[in-house]
Amino acid sequence: MAKTYDYLFKLLLIGDSGVGKTCILFRFSEDAFNTTFISTIGIDFKIRTIELDNKKIKLQIWDTAGQERFRTITTAYYRGAMGIMLVYDITQEKSFENIKNWIRNIEENAAADVEKMLLGNKCELNDKRQVSKERGEQLAIEYGIKFMETSAKASINVEEAFLTLASDIKAKTEKRMEANNPPKGGHQLKLTEIRTKDSWLSRCSLL
Amino acid sequence: MSDDLPEEFDLIVIGTGFVESCVAAAASRIGKNVLHIDANDYYGDVWSSFSLEAFIKLLEQPSNSLRNGSYTWHKSTEQEEQPVTSWTRESLLEKSRRFSLDLSPRVAYCAGSLVQLLIQSNICRYAEFRSLDHVCMLYNEELVSVPCSRSDVFNTKTLTMVEKRLLMKFLTACNDYGEDKCNEDSLAFRGRTFLEYLQAQRVTEKIANCVMQAIAMCDANTSFETGMQRTQRFLGSLGRYGNTPFLFPMYGCGELPQCFCRLCAVYGGIYCLKRSVDDINWTDSELLVSSAGKTLRAKHLVCAPSQLPATLATHFGESEPRISRGLFITSKPLGNEELNKGGGGVNLLRLLAANGEREACLIQLSHYSGACPEGLYILHLTTPAISADPAADLADFAAQLFETHASQILLSAYFTIAAPAAEGIANADTPILCTAGPAYEQDYDAAIENARQIFSQLYANEEFLPRAPDPEEIVVDGEDPSALNEHSLPDDLRAQLQDLEQAAQHMDIAD
Repeated sequence: MAKTYDYLFKLLLIGDSGVGKTCILFRFSEDAFNTTFISTIGIDFKIRTIELDNKKIKLQIWDTAGQERFRTITTAYYRGAMGIMLVYDITQEKSFENIKNWIRNIEENAAADVEKMLLGNKCELNDKRQVSKERGEQLAIEYGIKFMETSAKASINVEEAFLTLASDIKAKTEKRMEANNPPKGGHQLKLTEIRTKDSWLSRCSLL
Repeated sequence: MSDDLPEEFDLIVIGTGFVESCVAAAASRIGKNVLHIDANDYYGDVWSSFSLEAFIKLLEQPSNSLRNGSYTWHKSTEQEEQPVTSWTRESLLEKSRRFSLDLSPRVAYCAGSLVQLLIQSNICRYAEFRSLDHVCMLYNEELVSVPCSRSDVFNTKTLTMVEKRLLMKFLTACNDYGEDKCNEDSLAFRGRTFLEYLQAQRVTEKIANCVMQAIAMCDANTSFETGMQRTQRFLGSLGRYGNTPFLFPMYGCGELPQCFCRLCAVYGGIYCLKRSVDDINWTDSELLVSSAGKTLRAKHLVCAPSQLPATLATHFGESEPRISRGLFITSKPLGNEELNKGGGGVNLLRLLAANGEREACLIQLSHYSGACPEGLYILHLTTPAISADPAADLADFAAQLFETHASQILLSAYFTIAAPAAEGIANADTPILCTAGPAYEQDYDAAIENARQIFSQLYANEEFLPRAPDPEEIVVDGEDPSALNEHSLPDDLRAQLQDLEQAAQHMDIAD
């Protein structure tokens, strides 16, 4: 089976409940916006393949499945993540303040070199704004990460944000490959890998 | 923060250990409204993995389920040609977070119950595994690799040509066993031991050791039938992933309960850690859980023995030592270079003591398991507890390992995992369903069986962890029927949808 992509990147969405993580995910993966699918039931992650510099990149973007609500994101969620979108809601001061806690959480659980980006979502709601764009920018500078204001509803900057994050990860990955020490991973179990019962005891027959 | 926690549930699960997480995921998967809480601020209870610092702290704070903890730092005595890195207590602690130290480590058979369950439920997408590099045995005080694949048998220097043929012949016979119930051997050895059968095959002592110690994992009293089944289990797990029949979860076994929790959450389960339960009361129709000044109501309740409120724990009987554990961090792997190529991988060794009456399991992890920093090794030693002194329980086994094999132990730690006896749990006169706690076993057979049995007690006619669809299969904005929340559908439509899904499962869809 031919691989239909050059790179596979695992990305995470992180941030308080209700900042629009799932909406961002759907805007990017389906180009859709719908306020009715509030519960994230059964969603898990979404996949979209993009193209950058003639390379096909498969993005696997994981949602928190509601485990952010009481800050109970599993450590397993962070395993193997190459990029993280930190999302707050520009109309919710608290969600912005909590970014610090989420960053601490990431530092404790994710790989040290994980690529991060800060998103101030719901920027179409300017009249309800509680967090200025400057404060967002300032925080991002503090952590040395990139920043954008987005709107999943009005489709502003969502595409751009993911492309930016993906291209930063791609640059890092290629640099590492040049240094010739790709990380060594484990097996993922797949149905297709299971072979029939006979295994190695069955003898080869000479015809 | 927990103010907006709903107060009514179909099921409340207390404790996020393996069995509880399995039950929570299974209930959530079939549309039950689940609250899953844990008194600890981490997932996994006594099935969890810890950073080095957290692990040491844990040993210093005995609890009902984890007790008799002790640890010792050792000075590195390395004075060989070129000491690569000289590890100290400080330099280990500096890398504390790079460790995933398991309380209940195990390996899983490639075709065993855990792997089957993960694949069947699609929970496998949350986990990664490393296939074991070597299954070892001690032979004449030497640590040797047991040949697992056909090419292993041919290439091994451990066995002579004659032994190779004998081993192949024996294993082939074991593999064919059971297909013909009236097979001569099956009749002749009914009611006798596996060892007798093995001896009757006139294999050499070395092969007998291979089979008894590593392949069939038997002792002198194991029955012929059991030995055959175990051999078949080993053989049936070969050739699936990697070179040996075993897998170890990347980053430690503590990841596994979390995978089940993730599925539970994806299907709407609510998670709260650091949430202890003060008391549980019940009426004829529901259970009332008092926690953090709030009363939570549920139709059913499943609880880990370690997290029962004190007022209720007595119903389930005294907690007693179940598993004695040793954990060693070393800067040198066990065995020769051959067993630890390229810095080593994950090796398994079953040890016997007291004339084969007692056994212990050793799992050696290198940094390729994601459980420790490069250049270090974790040795997990596990045996069924026979006393409240884990170091004494393990002394015979540790001696076999460390007295004859050079090692550079930097930290040694011992602890006991305790749980109430099975009878106590079964006879408790409460509507609370208590899980069994970890048992000494390879793989997760007993744990999964425990979860299955609790689930069927709760929801008799429901399927246990049916396959969760891949995200690509769920179309939210389209006209696909599964776009709707499956559980909000009227019964007839839901049945139709399930039929569709089942039909789809049987189709061979190439991706």
